[in-house]
Amino acid sequence: MPDFSPDDNKLALKVVFYGPALSGKTTNLMQLHTLLNPERKGELMVLETRDDRTLFFDMLPIGLRGSSGLDLRLKLYTVPGQVQHDSTRKAVLSRADGVVFVADSQPSQQDNNAIAFGNLEENLEKVGLDIDTLPMVVQFNKRDIPGVVPEPELQERWGETPWSPLVMASALNGDGVIDTFQVLLNRLYSVVDDEFRLATDHGISREQFVERLSRNSNTEAAGA
Amino acid sequence: MRNFEDDPTLNDLLSNEQLARLNQCLSALCSEPVVLARTRPGPDAVPVEFNLETVGWLSGGGNDDERETAAGLVAFLMMFVAKYRLAANLHHDATEAGYAELQRQNEALKASEARYRELSDQLQQKVDEQVTVIKQTQQELYESARLRSVGQLAAGVAHEINNPIGFISSNLRVARDYVKELGATLPETPTKKDLLADFNDLLTESIDGASRIAGIVSDLKTFSSIDQADFTRCNITSLITSAMHLVQTEYNHELQIVERLAELPDISGHPSRLAQTFFNLLANAAQAVQDAQSDKGPGRILVKTQVESASIQIIIQDNGCGIPEHNQPKIFDAFFTSRPVGSGTGLGLTVARDTVRGHGGQLQLDSREGMGTRVRLTLPIN
Repeated sequence: MPDFSPDDNKLALKVVFYGPALSGKTTNLMQLHTLLNPERKGELMVLETRDDRTLFFDMLPIGLRGSSGLDLRLKLYTVPGQVQHDSTRKAVLSRADGVVFVADSQPSQQDNNAIAFGNLEENLEKVGLDIDTLPMVVQFNKRDIPGVVPEPELQERWGETPWSPLVMASALNGDGVIDTFQVLLNRLYSVVDDEFRLATDHGISREQFVERLSRNSNTEAAGA
Repeated sequence: MRNFEDDPTLNDLLSNEQLARLNQCLSALCSEPVVLARTRPGPDAVPVEFNLETVGWLSGGGNDDERETAAGLVAFLMMFVAKYRLAANLHHDATEAGYAELQRQNEALKASEARYRELSDQLQQKVDEQVTVIKQTQQELYESARLRSVGQLAAGVAHEINNPIGFISSNLRVARDYVKELGATLPETPTKKDLLADFNDLLTESIDGASRIAGIVSDLKTFSSIDQADFTRCNITSLITSAMHLVQTEYNHELQIVERLAELPDISGHPSRLAQTFFNLLANAAQAVQDAQSDKGPGRILVKTQVESASIQIIIQDNGCGIPEHNQPKIFDAFFTSRPVGSGTGLGLTVARDTVRGHGGQLQLDSREGMGTRVRLTLPIN
């Protein structure tokens, strides 16, 4: 749920990167930290463990200010993908405003994708969120690895779901990461604008919302 | 902090001691003392940011550069403090949630286990009940089948014997009369007189034998046709009295019978069968007393009647030989007898019990070997 404090005119939104273990959730977040140049960007907080597996979560705060002085924050979290950390996953997922599901494109990982997606559905229900109305985007990562499941097959498989079309990505190379994020921002805007009238009350249009939060540091540099 | 993800304040991140120490260290690094505070102390203070959030204000120091650098250092430090805090809080939240979930599951498991145990107990109880019912039904079925076959056999035998024994008895009596008439015409020689007397004795013994056979047949008929009764009003006292007379006749009036007979109302019943029952029980008692005579001297039979609530009680008690314990379970079985072959049918108690049951009553027998036997009959007043 969006956390709005009228006293500070502050709106905090939470986006969670979910998915099976080792599908590249943290890599997505690190790439966003590197590639994004939004109005405001905090430190990337990585709580890594010895073997580089996420034990708790990673977090990247970004933000922008509306014409009304609205302090809009977006906190991007990752969850630990390993099965045994389910209670941590649930705690991070609670009160989420949007979800990026990072799936693994390798044929051997399709079962794990399905299990993780089932776990997401289950945990969303447990924390009182509705998967059908929650802004969500599904990314198939690791497209750079040879022998991945072909995109048409994946697109067809997911064609009937509300999350079609899928976004293809290679987070390690930075490909598709911002695209994924922008798709999510678009879906997130619709929901948040309904409730907080971002455009009317705070002068933040859909285009501005997406552009100002997902501004690319390279294009910025090129433009400068 | 309410949630692990809520933005931490300076107080959340540092205790007062830690803050004092940090201020001390920063002051030592700068040319002028530096103060990190939660609220903005003055216009020259610079914000210290963490996660886009201003967590505190830094003032003092020699110049702007010093302040900015110190603020940057503090922000850098804050990140690590916050990282630990976030992780610790999340871990705490997750562990608590996990523990609560485990407890819930444990409770559910316990409840379900209790439910299954109860179910299993109920099932076991039902199985036990069913087994008892089956055992009992089997026993009843077996007994009723046995009794039916025995009854059919007895009825058949009685029917077949009844006619020949009828004409044998009648012919023997006629023959005795003829012998008497013939005897009168014979010459009076001692040899012939002896012969005639012996002939007479033979015939008399045969008549006795035939009448005993007729008695057995009658018992068998009673036994096998217990349900075909013509009920009338019966005076139990007169039935008992006549049965006692019959028994006394058999024992030459030598039996010592103590009578304690109460006034009894007439009841609906089958007089001849009831009389037969009383006779059977009294005959048993007389036999028992006689069997014990060599050890205990002359015995005694007590016959007592009384009215108790809605029934008549008849007690026939003797201080004779009693029934050995190993024989007691079999005494009501048809054709079970402890007497030598030929002296009893083994139907006496069977007939008695079936008659009493046929009248809606009960027959209860208590016996101790060497002490005596008591039979208690209960017949409903109707």
